[in-house]
Amino acid sequence: MAYLYFSLALVAVYIGITLLLHLQFGRVGIVNFGVVGFWGLGMYAHGVFMVTLGLPWLVALLLATLLVGLFALALGALVLRLDGQSVLVATLAFATIVLHLVTTEKWLTGGVVGFGTIEYPFDFGAATEPAYLALILAFVAVVLVYALRLDSSAYGRLLSAIRDNEPLAHGLGKPTFRHKLIFFAVTSAGMGLFGGLSASLNQFLTPNMIAPGVTFTAWIALVLGGKDHPWGAIIGVCATVGLFDVFIETFAPIPADYALLVPNIKLMLYGAFLVVIMLYRPSGVLGGYGRRG
Amino acid sequence: MTVEAKLSIAGLEKSFVGRKVVSVDRLEIGRHGIEGLIGPNGAGKTTLMGLITRKLKADAGTLIYRPGGTEIDLRQMSMDQVARAGLVKTNQVIQDFETLSIRDSLRLALAPAEREQFWTVFTKRRKRDAVEAEIDEILSHFPFENPNGDARSAGEKKLLDIIRCLLLKPKVLLMDEPTAGLPDDLTRAVMTLVQKKVAEEDLKVFIIEHDLDLIWDYCAHVNFLADGRLLCSGTPQEVKDHPVVVEKYMGVVDV
Repeated sequence: MAYLYFSLALVAVYIGITLLLHLQFGRVGIVNFGVVGFWGLGMYAHGVFMVTLGLPWLVALLLATLLVGLFALALGALVLRLDGQSVLVATLAFATIVLHLVTTEKWLTGGVVGFGTIEYPFDFGAATEPAYLALILAFVAVVLVYALRLDSSAYGRLLSAIRDNEPLAHGLGKPTFRHKLIFFAVTSAGMGLFGGLSASLNQFLTPNMIAPGVTFTAWIALVLGGKDHPWGAIIGVCATVGLFDVFIETFAPIPADYALLVPNIKLMLYGAFLVVIMLYRPSGVLGGYGRRG
Repeated sequence: MTVEAKLSIAGLEKSFVGRKVVSVDRLEIGRHGIEGLIGPNGAGKTTLMGLITRKLKADAGTLIYRPGGTEIDLRQMSMDQVARAGLVKTNQVIQDFETLSIRDSLRLALAPAEREQFWTVFTKRRKRDAVEAEIDEILSHFPFENPNGDARSAGEKKLLDIIRCLLLKPKVLLMDEPTAGLPDDLTRAVMTLVQKKVAEEDLKVFIIEHDLDLIWDYCAHVNFLADGRLLCSGTPQEVKDHPVVVEKYMGVVDV
């Protein structure tokens, strides 16, 4: 049962970061291929603040989020004026740097040996795992509500305008770069927050957890579900992480001999999904924006 | 003329890869209601407007803008600050927000900066009747096929671009070829509205146009630009009769 809660919490974390990716890419058109960099930095920062510095759980989480936000602010200030491809490469490079530093700076992160143990913030006995899942879901709900409200707000309209035609919005007197930078920093800090939440979930951190696969999974989920809709992120994550890491792993009666094949089949099917979606429904299951009324 | 110019340009220069595209010694804009800027293709007209709105950075020269009693040095400002200060330019090439409806795109122009912040998403939304009324009023001047839907044709998009700029309540409106892509009757509707606004409000207009009839009909003052330099300026009649303009621009055909 505890493992099921862990899997569900994993799905919730993926929904959180995919929703934030929807905000960045679907709403404003920022091509963030360094999702795992922000997420992983938040996770390790939370761990270090808690275990090495002995800070309380909540303080460590807030500091980790703030730290990721500052990194995103600095990175954004450098690259957000550039075109999409440059942003893609820069964010991918950022995530790679985080991965390498986590691996090499053994004094801080334990390197490949790993880093731990990061305890849960509370101990309710058997209810600890479900309570922690609820906590993560509460944060997901905040992001979801934000994403939904954005749709009908003046700020959301401005973000759509920036995504559609940034020079035109700029010419209408909108400080487009500043808006993009703030939005990128806050949403990336959100990815760091979900990273911090994942630290207690994993308890013990190793560099292989922050491999590029996390970024790709979030992207595949978003493209699959529909990048323009908050619900698209949720549908996409349920159809990928939810299907394979929860449903099949927990409930499907797979003979032990074949169990090792599941992760590989998962990756193959992700690829196949993506090809089919790109061919027949390029804006995802939920379709594109259309115009707003 | 005793009216103070809204915009004073002096020694303005801009080169692209060694070629001097704009070199204007002296130009005062905003002494007359509607002013024209004409000249052959490649004369540097659009570049000049780009320099004024700070889309392009000038190599040398001064740009002084006087929206009210104050003097503003435009060279210290970014493009969005210039627009917020009331110096706005309509686009030559059709520009559009693909996913915004006509009304949303106009609401965008009217939305004040404090409502467009990250956290305002959570604040309570007020009904903004004044904004909607203003949009209704300006839309009533033009025959949009579906004013509550999307701008579909190139003409509607071009028109929307101009209306958005008018809603910003500029002090100086720069119009880069407003007739390009618009049918003649719509151009006239736009110009009539612009004329009305110039008469009623504190608005000066500066137009680039190849449709000379429009220039002669609406402009009180015309500037002629060739090879980046201001060759002559004056009333439409003076410019029409200027020998260099006749030779360089209109040809020797009877005009």
